Amino acid sequence: MLEEQEDPVTAERLPYYRLYLRQRPVILVIFTVLAVILILFTSGLARLYRAQRESLGTRWFSRGLADLNAKKYDAAVSDFRAALLYSRDNYTYQLNLAEALIGQKRTGQASAYLLNLWDREPEDGLVNLELARIASSQGQVQQAIRYYHDAIYAAWASDEEWKREDARLELIQLLLNNKALAQAQSELIALEANVGDDPAQQEQIGGLFLRALDYERALSAFRITLKSERHNGAALAGAGEAAFELGRYPMAQHYLQAEIAANPNDTQSADRLKMAEMVLQMDPFRREITTAERHRLVVQAFQLAGQRLTGCALPKSVTLGPASTQPSLSDQWASLKPHVTERSLGRDPDLMESAMDLVFQIERQTSVVCGAPSGVDRALLLIAKLHEGNQ
Amino acid sequence: MEWQAKSETAVLPETNGSPQASPGMREHSPLGLWRAAFREDRFFLVLSVFIGVFSGLAVVWFRFAIDWARLYLLGTGVHLTPARLLLAPTLSGLVIAVLVMRFFPATRGSGVNQTKAALYIYNGHIPFRTAVGKFICSALAIGSGFSLGPEDPSLQIGATLASVIGRKMRLSRDRMRLIAPVGAAAGLAAAFNAPISAVLFVIEEVIGRWTAGILGSVVLSAVSSVVVMRWYLGSESLFRIPAVELRRPSELIAYAALGVVGGLASVTFSSGIATLRPRLKALPRWTQYFQPAVAGLLIGIIAVLGAPQVMGAGYEYIDQAMHGQFTWEFLAILAGLKILATLLSFVSGTPGGMFAPTLFVGAMLGAAVGGAEHYFLPHLTISAGTYALVGMGVLFAGFLRAPMTSVFMVLEVSGNYSIIVPVIVANTVAYVISRGLQPTPIFDLLTRQDGLELPSMEEQREEGVLHVEDAMQRVKGPLLDADWTLDQALREVDHMENQHLLVRMSPNGWSSVTKDELLQLAANGKGTVTLGTLLGTELVPYLHPDHPLETALRYVDRWPVIPVVSRADFRQLEGVITERDVLERYREFGEG
Repeated sequence: MLEEQEDPVTAERLPYYRLYLRQRPVILVIFTVLAVILILFTSGLARLYRAQRESLGTRWFSRGLADLNAKKYDAAVSDFRAALLYSRDNYTYQLNLAEALIGQKRTGQASAYLLNLWDREPEDGLVNLELARIASSQGQVQQAIRYYHDAIYAAWASDEEWKREDARLELIQLLLNNKALAQAQSELIALEANVGDDPAQQEQIGGLFLRALDYERALSAFRITLKSERHNGAALAGAGEAAFELGRYPMAQHYLQAEIAANPNDTQSADRLKMAEMVLQMDPFRREITTAERHRLVVQAFQLAGQRLTGCALPKSVTLGPASTQPSLSDQWASLKPHVTERSLGRDPDLMESAMDLVFQIERQTSVVCGAPSGVDRALLLIAKLHEGNQ
Repeated sequence: MEWQAKSETAVLPETNGSPQASPGMREHSPLGLWRAAFREDRFFLVLSVFIGVFSGLAVVWFRFAIDWARLYLLGTGVHLTPARLLLAPTLSGLVIAVLVMRFFPATRGSGVNQTKAALYIYNGHIPFRTAVGKFICSALAIGSGFSLGPEDPSLQIGATLASVIGRKMRLSRDRMRLIAPVGAAAGLAAAFNAPISAVLFVIEEVIGRWTAGILGSVVLSAVSSVVVMRWYLGSESLFRIPAVELRRPSELIAYAALGVVGGLASVTFSSGIATLRPRLKALPRWTQYFQPAVAGLLIGIIAVLGAPQVMGAGYEYIDQAMHGQFTWEFLAILAGLKILATLLSFVSGTPGGMFAPTLFVGAMLGAAVGGAEHYFLPHLTISAGTYALVGMGVLFAGFLRAPMTSVFMVLEVSGNYSIIVPVIVANTVAYVISRGLQPTPIFDLLTRQDGLELPSMEEQREEGVLHVEDAMQRVKGPLLDADWTLDQALREVDHMENQHLLVRMSPNGWSSVTKDELLQLAANGKGTVTLGTLLGTELVPYLHPDHPLETALRYVDRWPVIPVVSRADFRQLEGVITERDVLERYREFGEG
């Protein structure tokens, strides 16, 4: 005990209360009381400190939001960084800073923040979506697809369905841009199931189906739009294109005529309409035409194919079968030419088949060797495709 | 065995400093238990907890003070106005200089050396004014943008509080000497939020030697202070730690490269301090009123020119470097500028610590090396954050020359033990380079510049230690056995001069006897009595070959010959040692 160590002389001189205060148990009690008082004081100080920091953080964050909304990304980044000085781990501050950094095109830094947030909350939809966008912009397609999928199935703070659809639409765009058509079609089918009959969305989906080369679904999406909005130009053009690609030329003609009537400046649709009409006019296999007209169209097609053959300067070696046993297309055309007249066709029904078969072969081969045809040759090629199943 | 046990425990420091400690049965009575509970050694442990609590609170206030100083002096945002960047450190520098020169002269520098001096020179005495001065001046300096950190001042504040408490408690001199490191550990642990690193640093740099007697108190105070600090400021670390992993062992080469860069940077840093500090101190006294202000102005200029990151402790920028927020070129520039800013701050005599700047430079260098390696060797998969983390340890090992702390600091901060191999590799390389190019560690250098000579753990590590086996001699004479009769023994030593003879006792132990004593006993008619009976209680202590030679010094003046026996078989004699052997060996050692 301390009093036992005390020099007796000194101890005698000390007043009684001071001696008492030097007892170790008493000192411990004094320390405890002192500690409690200081802890309470520090608690008050800490409350003040935290309140001030919170207020500063909120103030800078509000400024940052205003700057972000005004697309002043530089200022927003500074504001959010300042806000983070006072609340380093604040999720919202970091997320908004990442958004501002993305706005500044500083995707590397944004990515660092987002990855940190992703570690904390891997199921945050917005974080996944932003990471997907960054990965997409950096050409990391597989990673982007993964983040998009996470975003689609993640939790969203509000407007969950709308944001998921938005994420899926972005994913589809990415897939289409990277020619992943089958995956894009799958995502589109999933998207279509959630969209309902909303004309605007159906129109957008129709356009995407067109890009994904799924013309049947594109047509049906456009038709849903047209049910509600009969004069929707984009839908008419899309439906016309889808019908055209499906070989439904009368239907394509119908939609495209309506589109041209509404939007005369739509040259693409006009060209397509022209081609559809040409196909319809030149197709000798149409049911509603007379025999004479059919024969005339065959003769015309045969002559056009001959011109195409001459113009394309197809090599003599090009044949319908093995080179050694089959004559070349030019030879075949030349040998058949004297027989392909309207009169001969009337006498020999099989001649029409042979003549048109040769026409289609010539158009196919010339399109391979000399490139995609235009005008009447393209119409003949489309007619060939249209009747491929019948050949 | 008894002697051996005594000799083992004798080398340990006294753990019971109270002469009134009640032994045995007295402790079991209620009054005895009550008194035992307040015995100085036990009371010291309780006191350590209070020291930890008070130091933790002081560090919390210190943190508030620094943050408030920053807010009011530099502003609340990240983009500070040039006027503030220039004026805040310059004017603060003037105020600090007046405070230091007029009122708190002991607060210059980091505080680590002052604490060490208190331990070794001033019997643990640190005036309370030192803590007050350190608190005010360091908060002002760090808050206004001087490139200094709060850890070393916290260490000194903790040590001062402990010293004041010790004085008020009228602790014994031994306890008083030890109490400053206890407070130092508490202060550092709270400031750094890393109790293990704080304990290790205090042992490595302040106490300078491993001593079990104080370890418990140091740990208790460190843990208590960290608990208090976390209670108020949260348990989050100073920076967010990125995911760390070592995928391929070949990546260790990249970390070794970081060690080389860190080692060279450490040497540059410490050489700068070694060169500039004495020169500035040698300038006329009136210039010292302006040195901090000039340093502050230069730091402000660096900030205005585009690197405000070098101001203050800079933990937020370490965090950003760890998360890939800067290009590797800018990181390298920041590391260089931070060394410059810290040099200016420190050599001007501004109070503040070097921990944070060291970590800053290490993190920037690490991330820069990582970024450069990624740029030139894109196949490397290690993140810049991992390099930054390892880089902090590298500078710690190379500049502060605390290798143990450097490793544990990174582990403690990251909480990831998979990083241990890269850290050890990089730190070792940096440490070896730094030690090779700058033989004197920075803290020793500073104490010598201040005209003091304090023990250093690094120097102790360098010193050779002599053992008993280095001085012992082979047994020349016959070895007597306790079962022999006196006549047998006399026949055995008949041809010998009078000398000390060792007797192997039964079942254990050794004794010694001279030929003259044997002859005298024989003259008394005890020729048929065994030596064991004659010498039964007169045992000689024995040593083992691996005992430090200083252990032998405790016995060689009382016993002319000491047996050196095997640890595996105490009856097997390895050699003998005498006072002359010990002194001769020390003389040879001293001559090199």
